[in-house]
Amino acid sequence: MTPLLEARGIVKRFGPVQVLQDVDFSVPPGEVTALVGDNGAGKSTLVKCISGIYPSDEGEFLFEGNPVHIHGPRDAATLGIEVVYQDLALCDNLDIVQNMFLGREKRSGLVLDEPTMEQMAAETLAGLSVRTVKSLRQLVASLSGGQRQTVAIAKAVLWNSKLVILDEPTAALGVAQTAQVLELVRRLADHGLAVVLISHNMNDVFAVSDNIAALYLGRMVAQVRTTDVTHAQVVELITAGRSGNLGTPPAENGAELMEPTIPGAKE
Amino acid sequence: MRTGPSQEEVRRQNLGALLRYVHIHGPTSRAELTSELGLNRSTIGALTADLAAAGLVTEAAPRETGRAGRPSLVVRPESERVYAYAFSIEVDQLQAARVGLGGEVLDHRSDDRPSGLPAVEAVPLLAEFVKDLQQAVPDTAVYVGGGVSVSRMMRRADGTAGLSGGTDRAAVAEPLGAVLSAELGAERPLVVGNAADVAALAEHARGAAVGCDNVIYLHRDAGVDAGIIVGGRRLTGHAGHGGQVGHMVVLPGGRPCSCGSRGCWETEIGDRALLNAAGRDGDGGRGAALAVVDAASRGDASAQAAVRQVGDWLGFGLANLVNIFDPEMVIFGGTLRDVYLAAAAQVRSRLNSMALTVAREHVRLRTPQLGEDATLIGAAELAFERLLADPLSS
Repeated sequence: MTPLLEARGIVKRFGPVQVLQDVDFSVPPGEVTALVGDNGAGKSTLVKCISGIYPSDEGEFLFEGNPVHIHGPRDAATLGIEVVYQDLALCDNLDIVQNMFLGREKRSGLVLDEPTMEQMAAETLAGLSVRTVKSLRQLVASLSGGQRQTVAIAKAVLWNSKLVILDEPTAALGVAQTAQVLELVRRLADHGLAVVLISHNMNDVFAVSDNIAALYLGRMVAQVRTTDVTHAQVVELITAGRSGNLGTPPAENGAELMEPTIPGAKE
Repeated sequence: MRTGPSQEEVRRQNLGALLRYVHIHGPTSRAELTSELGLNRSTIGALTADLAAAGLVTEAAPRETGRAGRPSLVVRPESERVYAYAFSIEVDQLQAARVGLGGEVLDHRSDDRPSGLPAVEAVPLLAEFVKDLQQAVPDTAVYVGGGVSVSRMMRRADGTAGLSGGTDRAAVAEPLGAVLSAELGAERPLVVGNAADVAALAEHARGAAVGCDNVIYLHRDAGVDAGIIVGGRRLTGHAGHGGQVGHMVVLPGGRPCSCGSRGCWETEIGDRALLNAAGRDGDGGRGAALAVVDAASRGDASAQAAVRQVGDWLGFGLANLVNIFDPEMVIFGGTLRDVYLAAAAQVRSRLNSMALTVAREHVRLRTPQLGEDATLIGAAELAFERLLADPLSS
């Protein structure tokens, strides 16, 4: 299967700091790809390169097999790439429909085409089997955390997007809401979208992902099928950059430089 | 020498296929039916006319198509006119619903199931529901059959789980069938199925497992049970007692089980096992098990350990089932949904280290889409089974 998005040799530097080193990353359609890594491993930077917020210094992107240049968020949106950030970027003082169409409102003549927007919003939510939202004209301020997450995801799906990137969608949610959001994430992929899920929670990763990509100190150390690894292996990839024959050898990933020394141990 | 199917049989098959399609997918245009069923356009026309004459479907022009040319007529199931009764005898609840063709719930009654009440004794309560529901039925409506979902387990008076008496098909079917035929004045088929089987059927027809022909639906309420679909058919066993995966022995000499054996899967992944592992007591009800999962997510270390331990055992039994049945999908229903989502890392890790590569590569682990209504929706599917097999005979 051709990956929907393929990143090859992506390099990103902030001044002297090399944040991404020669990162390869592929995202197949109809699957959830979990992107895992410790804090500072480069997950968010990689996502920002994909969504056009940061230009990458080296490397290329292939979208549906064709080389593309992503110079800004608009380029990414045109390709069908949408990102749902941790803070959701919803406006509390607007209702659900207004939020979903914010900045991209439908018009009929000079005025806004409210009926069409409301219908499209309703269809999108129904297509995702969302039953928790009572009224589309509810202010976002009145929604629970799980409902907000749902609206943010629906907003990303509304534009016939092909790739949806979710940054820690369950981080601030309770058990019941986490379950709903995970089911929603799974449904997006089952509907044929490519989904990238950034998460620190291994249960979320194993519950919904089809493959797991692990970043370690700015390198992509492994991209594996979820059916082939265990929890312990993924944790090793995240914390040490390698696990058995997975990941990069220690000489390359710099792990030997960080050999933990126990205070008081012999030299 | 075997002769081919007669024209009569082919026609019956086609009528059934068409009615089943609109029953599952809702209103569908003739053009779409033609391409979906792979039949000739004029054949679809003739079949639809027959079904319309029998009052099972209606045809109407679509409101708007937005395309050029004469619009294709839309075939709709007669949901208001053709109905079945669906019953669900669950561990803690009794439900009855009048369901229209197309799976639309027209009317619904439910009540708590008193603890210690065997399944058979729930029949008079369900009969009350029917009397009540029957009052709102229009004269023109046609009753085509009934379906009953019965949980194998019940809650004993002291709150513990026990095997529900009288879960044989006949034990429930006969008295309930008698009540229905007395009330409705018509002898119609009444089909009884085990709750997990019926829920599997519902998810297969209308939920998460649409398009998958090999499915295992694991269900946990008071006990652990499975509905298994193999090659598109329910695997029920000789007398409807198949699929009791909760009594698969996973730990010889383990804890005693309600069935009399020891070390059954249920003793390691049941609600009680979760509560014990977390060092809590409680009546073992749904709420108590979910409270442990909730506590784990909030950082309670003993609850986290309990959820991990149960998740590990869940993966252990699951790996065995995956090796045996090679399913496309496994669905975690009842309180297993929450345990799976909270312990997916353990479940997957165990599955990945125990199951054969060829079997585990393509198995999808999912949660139910129909939620609490699955057994009722599935019971309705059982009820419509006869009609869909041979639409014009009834």
